Amino acid sequence: MSDIVFTNVARNFRRDGKEFPALRDINLSVRDKEFLAIVGPSGCGKTTCLRMAAGLEFPTSGTVAVGGVRVTRPGPDRAVVFQQFALFPWKTVAENIGFGLVANGVAAAERARRVADVLKLMNLAGYESAFPHQLSGGMQQRVAIARAYVLDPQVLLMDEPFGALDAQTRVVMQEELVRLARVNPRTVLFITHAVEEAVYLADRVVVMSRRPGTIREIIDVASVRAADSWDRFEKIEDVMDQASFVHLRTHIWRLLREQQAPDDH
Amino acid sequence: MSRRTVVGIATLLAVAGLWYLLTAATGWVGSARFPNPAEFGTAVKQIVTGGYAGARIHEHVLQSCKLVAMGFLVAVSVGLPLGLLMGWNRRAEALINPVFLIIRPIPPLAWIPLAIVWLGLGDGAKIMVIFFAAFVPSVINTHAGIRNIEPFLIEAARMLGVRGPRFVFGVLLPAAAPLIFTGLRLSLQASWTTLVAAELVGALLGLGYVLNAAAQDIFPAMILTGMVFVALSGAASTWLLGRLEQRVTRWRTA
Repeated sequence: MSDIVFTNVARNFRRDGKEFPALRDINLSVRDKEFLAIVGPSGCGKTTCLRMAAGLEFPTSGTVAVGGVRVTRPGPDRAVVFQQFALFPWKTVAENIGFGLVANGVAAAERARRVADVLKLMNLAGYESAFPHQLSGGMQQRVAIARAYVLDPQVLLMDEPFGALDAQTRVVMQEELVRLARVNPRTVLFITHAVEEAVYLADRVVVMSRRPGTIREIIDVASVRAADSWDRFEKIEDVMDQASFVHLRTHIWRLLREQQAPDDH
Repeated sequence: MSRRTVVGIATLLAVAGLWYLLTAATGWVGSARFPNPAEFGTAVKQIVTGGYAGARIHEHVLQSCKLVAMGFLVAVSVGLPLGLLMGWNRRAEALINPVFLIIRPIPPLAWIPLAIVWLGLGDGAKIMVIFFAAFVPSVINTHAGIRNIEPFLIEAARMLGVRGPRFVFGVLLPAAAPLIFTGLRLSLQASWTTLVAAELVGALLGLGYVLNAAAQDIFPAMILTGMVFVALSGAASTWLLGRLEQRVTRWRTA
């Protein structure tokens, strides 16, 4: 079982010596092999949720557990894909992908095999010895996803992974991620502010309120996707044309608009 | 040849031409103040073949290079780990920084009297003075290099399970390498600057000693010779360090 369970999680931030609440009453389970997206206005604490699952931050009260074990520190069982890619610029593509395996004592032969597999899976073959700065943003994020996938993690934590990409690249990456999720299903916690992206990718979408962040509503996308068999479409624009997709998207948009702060207008 | 190289060579030739013009050709600057090219050539020939100030040029250069290398290496092997520790650990920073802040504004040459009292007139005192000069920039830049690492790179490493020596040598040092090398360059420069001053006092060999002896002999051509060899040695060591930097940060130019 590789689920992510938030129990009564609250998180306070300290600024200028004053504490103020950033997250409140977060109770949420990301089920085994589920793709769950969190959307919300900026500053609502959605990234903080992901970072608490990663062990990069900790709740002020409540607990976060992955696979039944309370999260106390970061580790390769909870692979993170960062918005800024966070590749090591002095390492080649293959070295970046293999670094986690090296650190965890995976023998050279097995390492080479696993890196080669994931290179192929992410359409990165031929770029093994390139350095990150020689690649486009989309290719760099492919490497970052490959680096996470190669660890064979319990859960994948993706923090606005396509936020820094241009619109076309973004669409390609979204389609790739869907393909990847079919070939190799994982428990995924996906943070985004793009509503279409969330509806297209996720089984469930969590909409958060503005600060202090709470869960406003959880929308079940998977049942709609199955009922309307979105999976018959190859391309994202065909899925986005479906009345059921439009309906969900508009619903989430309305929820988010209610959460807009007065000064956001 | 690139345009830059051509311009560089042209500039050097122009300076040499001007030198010839002002000294040998017109006599506007007399030999007692600054040597003409021929006198310079004679002085170079003298120190290379016959020797000056008790030794031939290669012995002077070797002695100076030895002192610089020792002072620089000791400074770097203390300064780099210290900067790393201060950059990584807030507690270590709080502990070390006050001491460092007191030492830092002391001009390296102000250590000369104490160095002589402690270590006498031999190489030890000079190495100590070079150490103090070279130590400061290597600590400061390593400290800044570590402090300026993008936090998400460190988080990525922790997420991958990278820790211990692999984290220090595989993540921290390469990530800070550009600034660390800036520090090393400044350290090396400071080493040469300090060397000449340190050798002005109580040395019997070395380029600083050549300069000192030439000044006492009122021998401008030999003073210029000494200066040129200091410049050449400094440039050679900087070039070596540049090669090392290029090797270590090969990815940047790939």
